Amino acid sequence: MKYDVVIIGGGLSALTAGITLASNGKRVCMVAAGQNSLHFSSGSFDFLGYDADGNAVTNPIEAIKTLPTIHPYRIIGEENIGSLVTSAQALLSDAGVETKGEIAQNHYRITPIGTIKPTWLTIEGYATAASLTETRWKKADLINIQGFLDFPIEFLVDNLRDTGTTCTIRNINTEALTQARKSPTEMRATNVAKYLDSKTDLMDFANAINAIDSDAEVVLVPAVLGLNNSAQAEELKALVKKPIEFIATMPPSVSGMRTSTLLKRKFMALGGTILVSDTAVSGVFENNRLVSIATSQLPDEVLRADQFILASGSFLSHGLKSDYEKVYEPVLGVDVEAVANRVEWTKENVYDAQPYMEFGVKTDAQFHALKEGVAIENLYAAGSILCGNNDIKLASKEGVAMLTALQVANIIKEK
Amino acid sequence: MVSFINIMYLCFANESKTFSKRTFLLANKISKRKNLNKNLIMTLNNKHNIKESYDVIIIGGGITGAGTARDCAMRGLSVLVVEKYDLANGATGRNHGLLHSGARYAVTDHESAAECITENMILRKIAAHCVEETDGLFITLPEDDLSFQSTFVEACGKAGIRADIISPEEARHIEPSVNPTLIGAVRVPDASVDPFHLTTSNILDACRHGADVLTYNEVVGMIIVNGMVEGVQLCDNHTGEVYEVRSRVVINAAGIWGMPILQMADIKLNMFPAKGTLLIMGHRINNMVINRCRKPANADILVPDDAVCVIGTTSDRVPIETVDDLKITPEEVDILIKEGEKLAPALATTRILRAYAGVRPLVAADNDPSGRSISRGIICIDHEKRDGLGGLITITGGKMMTYRLMAEEATNLACKKLGIDKPCETAVKPLPGSEGLDKNAKEWHLPKAYNAAKGRQGMRVNEIKNETLTDRALVCECEEVSVGEVKYAYENLNIHNLIDLRRRTRVGMGTCQSELCACRAAGVMCSMNKDPKKTLHDLGNFVNERWKGMRAVGWGSTLDEAHLAATVYQGLCGINQIMNKKESK
Amino acid sequence: MKEQGIQLKNISGNNLEQCLKCSICTVYCPVSAVSPEYPGPKHSGPDQERYRLKDTKFFDETLKMCLNCKRCEVACPSGVRIADIIQSARIEHSKKRPALRDVMLANTDFVGTMANIVAPVVNVTLGLKPVKAVLHGVMGVDKHRTFPAYSSQKFETWYKKFAAAKQDSFKHHVSYFHGCYVNYNYPQLGKDLVKVMNAIGYGVHLLEKEQCCGVALIANGLSKQATRQGNNNMRAIRKSYKEQNRMVLTTSSTCTFTMRDEYKHVLKIENEDVREGISLATRYLYRLVESGKVKLAFRKDFKIRTAYHSACHMEKMGWVVYSTELMKMIPGLELIMLDSQCCGIAGTYGFKKENYERSQKIGAGLFDQIKSLNPDCVSTDCETCKWQIEMSTGYDVINPISILADAIDVEETMRLNNV
Repeated sequence: MKYDVVIIGGGLSALTAGITLASNGKRVCMVAAGQNSLHFSSGSFDFLGYDADGNAVTNPIEAIKTLPTIHPYRIIGEENIGSLVTSAQALLSDAGVETKGEIAQNHYRITPIGTIKPTWLTIEGYATAASLTETRWKKADLINIQGFLDFPIEFLVDNLRDTGTTCTIRNINTEALTQARKSPTEMRATNVAKYLDSKTDLMDFANAINAIDSDAEVVLVPAVLGLNNSAQAEELKALVKKPIEFIATMPPSVSGMRTSTLLKRKFMALGGTILVSDTAVSGVFENNRLVSIATSQLPDEVLRADQFILASGSFLSHGLKSDYEKVYEPVLGVDVEAVANRVEWTKENVYDAQPYMEFGVKTDAQFHALKEGVAIENLYAAGSILCGNNDIKLASKEGVAMLTALQVANIIKEK
Repeated sequence: MVSFINIMYLCFANESKTFSKRTFLLANKISKRKNLNKNLIMTLNNKHNIKESYDVIIIGGGITGAGTARDCAMRGLSVLVVEKYDLANGATGRNHGLLHSGARYAVTDHESAAECITENMILRKIAAHCVEETDGLFITLPEDDLSFQSTFVEACGKAGIRADIISPEEARHIEPSVNPTLIGAVRVPDASVDPFHLTTSNILDACRHGADVLTYNEVVGMIIVNGMVEGVQLCDNHTGEVYEVRSRVVINAAGIWGMPILQMADIKLNMFPAKGTLLIMGHRINNMVINRCRKPANADILVPDDAVCVIGTTSDRVPIETVDDLKITPEEVDILIKEGEKLAPALATTRILRAYAGVRPLVAADNDPSGRSISRGIICIDHEKRDGLGGLITITGGKMMTYRLMAEEATNLACKKLGIDKPCETAVKPLPGSEGLDKNAKEWHLPKAYNAAKGRQGMRVNEIKNETLTDRALVCECEEVSVGEVKYAYENLNIHNLIDLRRRTRVGMGTCQSELCACRAAGVMCSMNKDPKKTLHDLGNFVNERWKGMRAVGWGSTLDEAHLAATVYQGLCGINQIMNKKESK
Repeated sequence: MKEQGIQLKNISGNNLEQCLKCSICTVYCPVSAVSPEYPGPKHSGPDQERYRLKDTKFFDETLKMCLNCKRCEVACPSGVRIADIIQSARIEHSKKRPALRDVMLANTDFVGTMANIVAPVVNVTLGLKPVKAVLHGVMGVDKHRTFPAYSSQKFETWYKKFAAAKQDSFKHHVSYFHGCYVNYNYPQLGKDLVKVMNAIGYGVHLLEKEQCCGVALIANGLSKQATRQGNNNMRAIRKSYKEQNRMVLTTSSTCTFTMRDEYKHVLKIENEDVREGISLATRYLYRLVESGKVKLAFRKDFKIRTAYHSACHMEKMGWVVYSTELMKMIPGLELIMLDSQCCGIAGTYGFKKENYERSQKIGAGLFDQIKSLNPDCVSTDCETCKWQIEMSTGYDVINPISILADAIDVEETMRLNNV
C-alpha cells in the first residue's frame, strides 16, 4: 500500500500531524497500535508548567529559554512557537474540542486530588483556579457519585479548602447510577458516562443536583459526561440552575476519550486511514530513506510512503521499550538517547526527576530521526518519543506532542 | 479507649441494601459464627490507653513476637507487644513464604529439619487459612550429582519427612513448569504460607486473650534496677514522645534489631545480618514449590504465593547499619534470574513485579567472636544466666516457620521466671481465621472477592461487610480487595497507613503495584479516619514504597508500569507537589 | 536457537503479563456499558486469570457474557489478547453444558441444511407469530428477531449446476470458503464473488470439503465440535493452498478471523502453515489491483452513497483498510466511515432472548448515526452485522464484494485483463 505519509502512532501527536497533513490534501495512513495516552488526560493541555528547576511557570514562552537545548521546544525554535500554538488551538477547535487559555500566560487546572497545576489550554466547562494558591469560589457544592471510587473526594475538599473554597460533599444517586454500581469493578468514569448517556438519565442526574438546597455559588461535578462530544456536558449546564464546572477524575479520562474520538473523526472525515489494531514492527531503509514499514496484522503487506512520522509515544505507550540491558526504539531501531547503565535509569525517590523519562529518539534540527548517527531524510519523530523532555516534571506533554507534530507536518507540507 | 467502629461514613451513607436470598443466608451464617470472632480486634493503641505495667513486654512485632505474645497471653500473662514500625515489617514479611517440610535442611542440619516437619504439620492445622498445601519437589538437574538424591532421601527419612522419589516424567506431569531436563525428583510436603496473615492472626489471638499492641513505638532504652530489667523506655514514632512502661519480664524478639536492643542493656551478642534478596514474578508459574536437590545455595527455591510466585534467595552478610534500608544490587537480580531459570525456564520470560530483601538474624556461638560458627537453630537466651541481668530473655535464630516453637521456648522461660505453671496450647488451638475453617467449602456462588478475601482472612471473612453494592466494589482489582475488606482491616487490624493496609489485605501487591487501587484505598481510609492531609501523604509514601521494589527490576513492562503510575499520580494528580513540599519542610 | 541475555522477552499466555492495568479496554467493551453484571474485559481477562492460575474455581460463569468482539484487544495499547484469555478460560473451565437452543444456534450448517430442504416452509414458519412465541418461550430465541431467510437453493447447488464447469478454463485459480451464510441464506454474495473473479480471469473453486468455521460453536461453549470441524477445514485448506497452489478466499470477516486466529489462540489448532493462504476476497482483490496484476473497470452510470461499518472482527484483523480502499476505487461511490463500534449482534449472541435488549442497546449509537447520515446503503463485511443493522435501521446492508460486482463493467474488465 502506498500513501503520501505514514504515521506510526495514534495519539495526540500522530492525530495532530495526520489532520494537518490530510487537510493539506495528503493521503495519510496511521498505524495506531491500540488506543492512546489521551485516556489518562486531565482535561487540560499542558505546555510548560514548570521550569527545569521545578518552579511553576507563569509565561511559558519566556521559560522555554531556561530549558536545555536538547528539549524539543528549543529545537522547534522560539520564533516558530507562536504560530504553531495558534494552529494547535485552531486544530482542536476545528475538531470540536473547545478550549480556553492562552500561551502568553499559564492558567491553572485543578487536579483530581485538588492540587493546582499550571497549564496552557483547558477544555471548556472544566474548573480552573485563579492562581496556584487560590481557587475562584468561596463556597461550592461538590458532587459525589455514590460508590464511585475514582474521584478522591476527601482530598479534593481538603486541598480546595486550603486554596479558599469551602466545599460541601453532596451525595448523588440516580437509577442509572445504581445500575452502574452493580458492577464491583466497572464503575469507572467512562462507564458512568455511558450509563448517563440517555436524556432521561441525564435529566435524573440534573434533578438530583437541583434538589440540593444550598447557598453555594458553584456546583463542582466529576467529569463523567460526554464520551463522544460535549453536547451532554452542555445539556447538563442548561438543566442545572446553578453554574457547574467539571473536575477531572482518575483514569480512564472521559475528556481524553472524547478528544481522541473527535480528532479521529476529523482525521477520517478528511480521508485519512487509521489501522487501529495494527502495530508497526519493522522498516526497510535504503540510502538514508525509509522505504516502507511492515505491520503485525499485515505481515505480507508493506506500507510505502514518501514521508514517515514516528509518533509512537514513550514507555507507557511502548514507543520506547527497555529490557534488562538497554533502551531501544522497537520498530525502526532508530537512535535513542539513553544512559547505558541500568542502575542510572532511575532514582530511588519516585518524586525525583527520573532519568528514564528524558530518554527518547534522537533527531536533527528538523526532527529527522537518526539511525546510526545519520539523519533519515524522510523519517521524522514527534511527540513523547522525543528525547530531552521529562513531560511529567515539566508538565509539557500535550504541548510537545502537538507542537512537534505541527512542526513536522509543516516541514512535510512544503515537500 | 477510642472506638473506631461507630464512625459514620459520609461517602457511603444512605446506601440501600440489596436484599437477596443469598445475602440473607449469609447474614444468618455470620450471626452463627459471631461468637467465634468475638473480640478479634487489634486496637489502635498509644501511650494513653495502655496499662502502666505488664507481666511481659515483648519487643518486636514480627512473627516471633506475635507468636510469643499469643503464647504468653494464652497462659494468662498480661502482655504488651511493642514494634517500632508495623507488624511483619522486618524479616517476617520479607522471605519466601515457604512452609518448609524440613527437607532442605535434612542433610546439613538434622535438628532443624526435624523441627520443621513437626511445625509444618502443626501449622497446617492451626493456621490452615494461611497455608496452601502445595507440596514441593526437589529436582536434580544434569549439572547436579544424582547420587545426592539417595543421601537426601535417607536424611529426610531420619528426620521424619516423607520424601518420595518420582520419575522425571511424573515430575513434569504434576508440575508442568519444572525444568524439563531434570534427571531426578523427590516429592516432599513443602507448602506455602502467608507470613503477613500468620502474624496478624497470632496478634489477634493474643489481643483476644488480653494482650495490648503498640505499633510505631520504638524501644529506646531499658529500665534496669539492681540488675533486673523492669521495663522499657519507648518513643512514639509519630509524636516523638518518650515514656516508660514497666514489666516483670522483657522478651527481646526483635530479630536482627535485637542486637541494638541488647546493647541498651550493655549486653553483647554476636549477630550477623544476612541479607536475602527475592524476586516476585507477575503470576504463578508453578503450583508446587520447586527446590534443587543439592546442598542449599543461592536462588534455589521457587514458591507459589497467592497469585504470584517468588524466587530466592541470595545470601550476603551486610553491616548492621544497613538493615533498615536494604539496597538490592543488579548482581543479586542477575543471580536470581539465572538460577531461577534452571528451576522453571518460564521464569526467564516472565515479568518481574518487584524485588525485595530481608535479613536473617544469624547468631554466632559465644566462644567464637569471629562468627564463623553460625547457628541456624533456635536460640533462647536467659540473660540472667548468661549475663547476670534478670528479667530479660532473647529469642532469636530459627526460621519464620518455627516461630511457634520459638515462642513456646521463650514463653516457658518467662513462665518459669514468673512462677507460672501452665502448659502451652498453641500447637493445638487453631488461630483466628482457621477456627471452623473447612478449606474445601468455599462459597463460590459469592463474589470472587469473598473467596479471595477468605484466602487471606480465613473465617474472619464473614466479618467483612459485603451486603451493599458499595462495600462489594473492588478497591484493588488485581488482588480482589473490596471496599468492605479495607473497612474491616481498618477497623479491626491496627492500621496506621496504607502500607499497613497492604500487609493486612493485599492492596497494591498485584500487577499494577498501586496504579488505581492506592488512590481508591486512600479514599476509603480517609472516609474513616477523617484526616485527608495525613492520608494523602500516606498515599504518596505508598506509591514511593511500591516504586522502590519495582526500581530494582525496572525494565520491560515493569518500567512501563512505573511510567504509567507516574503519569497518573504525578502528571495528572500532582501528588509530587505535596510530597516535595513536605520534604522541604 | 536460544537468545543470549537475560529477560529479553516477556512471554506469557495471550500476553497476560503485558497488561499494564491501564483500563483502556474497559472503555471500549460494548457489554459492560449495558450489563453491570459483567466484570468487564480487564477483570474477566488478565486480572482474574492470575487467580484462575491459583485455583480454577475462580472461574466465573459471567465470562460467558463476553461477546468475543475483540474490541478490548483492538483498544489495548499493550498487545494483550484479552478476549482470547476470556475465551480460553471459558473453554478450559466452564462446567455448564450448553442448552439445546445454544447447540441449535451454534450448528449453523446442520440447521441450515435442514432448513434449505424445506426453505419456503421454514421461512414462513420462522416468521409466524405462534412459532416465534415457541422459539422465544421454549427455545429462548428472542421473538423480536427476524431469522435470516433461508434460500431455497444452496450456493453449493447453484455452483455445481451453473458455475463449476467453466471455472477450469481460467488462467488463474482460487478456492472459495463460502461459509454457512452464503450457502444457506444469501447465495447471491457467492455468485457476486464468482462474477468479479471470473471477470478478472480467476476461476473459483469450492474446497474439497467445507464445514462451518465453528465460530458459533466456540461462542456457545462447544469447543470439541469446533476443534473437529476446524481440523477438517484446515485439511481442506491445506490441500488447496499447499498442493493446488490456490489461495482460499472468503467473503465473511468472521469465518476468516476464526480460521486465521481463533483456531490457534483458542482451539490450539496448528494453522501457521496455511494462515496466509486464507484471505478475505476484498483484501486479495485490493492487492491484485494495487500490484498492477489486475485492472478493474467500472460502469459509468454507477452511483452510490454508502456508510461503512467496521465489523468487530474486521477491526481486529486490521483489514478494514482493504475493503474501504477497494471501494474507494469505484468512481461513483461516496464512502462515509461510521464510528467503529459493535453493532450488538455478535454472531448468535443477539439471537438469545436474554441478550436481545442488551444487544439492541449496544448498537443504539451506531443505528442513530446511520439514520442521521441517511446513506443509500450501509456496507460491511460481516453477515451477522448485516442482519442486526437491517433489522434495527431498515437500511440495506451490502457486502463490499456485492457492491463491487454491481459497479464493475464486466466486459471492459475482461478486456483489460485479457480474459
